[in-house]
Amino acid sequence: MKCHVPGPNVKVLGRTVHVLARFGDELYLESLPDCVLLKTLNASESAYAMIKFNNSFFSYFKYNFYSTEDNESLKCKISMKSALNAFKSPTHMDKQVENLEIKLDPDACKLIFQFKCKHGIVKTHYVSILDCKATQAVYTKDQVPNRIITSQRLLSETLGNFQSSDDQVTIEATNQSLILRNYVDANIELTKIIRTQINLKASEFDSYTVGVDTTITFTLKEFRALLAFAEALSLPIQLQFETTGQPVVFIVHNGTTFEAHFVMATSKPDALTQTQASSQNNSRTDYKRKEVNNSVGPMKKKPHLDIDISKCLDEDSHLFNYIDIPEETDLRPEKNGTTEANAAEEDNLQEYMDCDIPGSPTSRTKIKSVFKRCFESTFDPRSIQGVKLVENSDSD
Amino acid sequence: MDDGTSQYYFTASMDSGKTLHSLLKAIQFQESAVFCAMSEGLKLTVEEGKCVQASAYVPADNFTEYHVRDDVDVIFKISIAVLTECLNIFGASEESSLKMYYRSEGSPLLLVLQPQSVHTVMTDCEIATQTADCLLELRDEDATEVAKLVLKASAFLGLLADLERSCDVMELHLSPDHPNVSIVTYGMQDRSCIEVPKSSDMMQSFSCEQPVTLKYQLPHIRLIMKALAISSKVVLRCSSNGLLLLQLKLEKDEQRQMFSEFHIVPLLDDY
Amino acid sequence: MKFRGIMIDAGPMREFTNIVTTISKLSKECVLRLSDDKLYFIVSEDNSGPAPPVLWCEIPQVVFFSEYQMIGIDEEHKDIYLSVISANLAKSLVTLKSAKSLKIKLTKKQCPCLTLEIEMQSVISQQSRQVTHDIPVVVVPRKMWSDFHEPKVQTPDISIELPTLKQLRTTIDRMRTMAQEVVIRASAEGKLTLQIKTDMAKVSTRFKDLRVEAFEGPIDHSDSETESVAIEDISKLCHCRVDAKKFSMFLSADNISHNRTICSIVHKKLVILCLYTQENVKLQCFITGIVY
Repeated sequence: MKCHVPGPNVKVLGRTVHVLARFGDELYLESLPDCVLLKTLNASESAYAMIKFNNSFFSYFKYNFYSTEDNESLKCKISMKSALNAFKSPTHMDKQVENLEIKLDPDACKLIFQFKCKHGIVKTHYVSILDCKATQAVYTKDQVPNRIITSQRLLSETLGNFQSSDDQVTIEATNQSLILRNYVDANIELTKIIRTQINLKASEFDSYTVGVDTTITFTLKEFRALLAFAEALSLPIQLQFETTGQPVVFIVHNGTTFEAHFVMATSKPDALTQTQASSQNNSRTDYKRKEVNNSVGPMKKKPHLDIDISKCLDEDSHLFNYIDIPEETDLRPEKNGTTEANAAEEDNLQEYMDCDIPGSPTSRTKIKSVFKRCFESTFDPRSIQGVKLVENSDSD
Repeated sequence: MDDGTSQYYFTASMDSGKTLHSLLKAIQFQESAVFCAMSEGLKLTVEEGKCVQASAYVPADNFTEYHVRDDVDVIFKISIAVLTECLNIFGASEESSLKMYYRSEGSPLLLVLQPQSVHTVMTDCEIATQTADCLLELRDEDATEVAKLVLKASAFLGLLADLERSCDVMELHLSPDHPNVSIVTYGMQDRSCIEVPKSSDMMQSFSCEQPVTLKYQLPHIRLIMKALAISSKVVLRCSSNGLLLLQLKLEKDEQRQMFSEFHIVPLLDDY
Repeated sequence: MKFRGIMIDAGPMREFTNIVTTISKLSKECVLRLSDDKLYFIVSEDNSGPAPPVLWCEIPQVVFFSEYQMIGIDEEHKDIYLSVISANLAKSLVTLKSAKSLKIKLTKKQCPCLTLEIEMQSVISQQSRQVTHDIPVVVVPRKMWSDFHEPKVQTPDISIELPTLKQLRTTIDRMRTMAQEVVIRASAEGKLTLQIKTDMAKVSTRFKDLRVEAFEGPIDHSDSETESVAIEDISKLCHCRVDAKKFSMFLSADNISHNRTICSIVHKKLVILCLYTQENVKLQCFITGIVY
């Protein structure tokens, strides 16, 4: 694969690498005939990011520059440090770089970034490919009851009230308002920590749909990184989430050339540490009982995307999957939740199975219309599991 | 200056010590420096091991008054860290006039600073001096210059800033053929290469007869970055023995200039 | 015990934030004492006994609060003493500079807290939004109240008005890189000198034409090694050696818009720095002299 990124877009690519670097230590690059995907997953497997660049992002794009076989996608994994080294300062790049050429030659074991800069300077980075695997995650994007679109400035302004030492945030969403609170781990001494809460009204957002009152908790590190990303590119953020414990998806896109998905696992807030009395307490404890068995290992509050890599190729009982696909395997998304669900998780499974749609990260063509249509307050009962290449195929 | 100081070994005064402060900070990578007052001007030199020698040179015309006794050698060792802190005693936002006095061998260096905007405060500093160590003579009379480049300092700084900090070694390839200048660094698994053609508008002059490849410790090369940041022009000279000389020019104002110079010894391949 | 106060004016809110920020730089923890007419921030060294506290700050509430209500424990114990982590308070107040109003009250959540309810004006949406911070506090038991009374110190030998704190701070910070202790010398002739001395250097910054508020001299120097500049009358001179870092921390009060700062010295024993603002806020810092 060989492609050219025109000057103004190099900064976008640079910002992409920087936000991905806040999520994970390894960068997966995958080239498909019509787009390029950059993905990463964090070490604790609780946050995943995927950014897709369409053909239109590039001034030149030749997918099969090196090979003549069309049906094989090119994929590689490089160290995030290598990527950061190539894209050291995105703002600086804006003024200096005229063009960037990226070459992925599967035989050469190198990913080459060549920057043509002002004053005739050429900077080339030969990055070693660590291996040729891909990563793929399966998550719900469309059939969710809660969808909020906001300018990143609103969230940045709000987060400015929290301490830099706060590492998790809880969002309590009702159809009237959104409350953000810093989440305090039960282990930390309460007498030392400031507890902060901010109330936002539904009218403050560009678009606000909360079909089901929900409370979710997730880590701030990645959240702050994706806000910075949206801010650098002056783009709004879309949040999608459903029930407590299910991942929250943040989407940043410019409608045409690229789309970024940031998926973060959410944990269930411990009803004891949160001081707000709310009608949700009861429903939360119900979830709590059911989800006790869901976490991997001893019960802990740490958000965790349900992943068990060794098992996921056999069975899938979780909504969210991280699959490390060796080169030879069929690339199509795994079937979800078919046979060998863990006995302990069966309760949850029944509830969540209905919304389980294998998401193929590549299908983005009908984005706008899909979002419009999904302003529904209930799950679409007609969504069924199974192998689906195009995720919105049953949203009608 | 008082008449009482006419027998002093060295006295000098300046309207503002700010540029001098920036220049000295740019070579401050060791605790002490050799301070040498010559009739042409003031020179301070810092050495790191036997690999890097950096000097700051302030020609006499930068001073409003400058006297050095011609019958003595005014040369001593002084803490450059303390010297720069004293020059900056009133902070970066204040322009302060500076007077320097060195009475005789072994005397402390006396500085008197007064801010231009406030007349009710002044600072005097007495900085201890010691006998100067011998400075390395890195230049080799027998070596010839094999390449010379003249670049805009800010542009060269941009190139260096882009090199991966964690690398130990920087390879410099110079050649009369394209690409004329190549800077290569090796990371854990990767390699990065910056190419600058002689036709580039950041290259003010380029001369190189034969291709030459030289290696330097990147941390040594990075030592010049502070000086590059305050300079307008840099001249790189490569000698046949691999010694790299970088000369930087700092324009102060009204055609007065200060200079800094760095000699860097190359890494030799082990066989 | 009850406490509730409301601030609505931008100026006082900004000043209050600056004061709390300065205090948080001086000490990690402090005691907030609430009385009918004043708020006090007190920082004392552990086990300091009869020595004065490190910091004593008095804030007349009427200038800052539009509403102020407090009820102590009983008739004999009218005030409220709370121990709080000053950094927590400072961090929560950072957004106060652009806020519309502040309500501060004593509450009991999982532990006693000072709850701050800040009404912010959103830059984007023109809506106002409420931010709530619960800062945990510890109620100071009555038997410890005597540690937090107004300090009584002997009359200083000299009180002199300091030049701008910003200027002092720049200089002290440069001096701190070279030495840990600084000698503060003041004369009845309106001169102030800050001096450091090490093996490598002696640096003296000399201020003149300063206003002397009080002088209880002449000072007895017979027991000391006081250096004197030939023309100076040393009986009018007193000095004290202090830790440069402590002095610098007080000088971070330069962000408080203040009227004047007075430096009082008890020869060789104590330096008292007292900052007075237009709103009658008094911030006093006591630095014990270092004696060899």
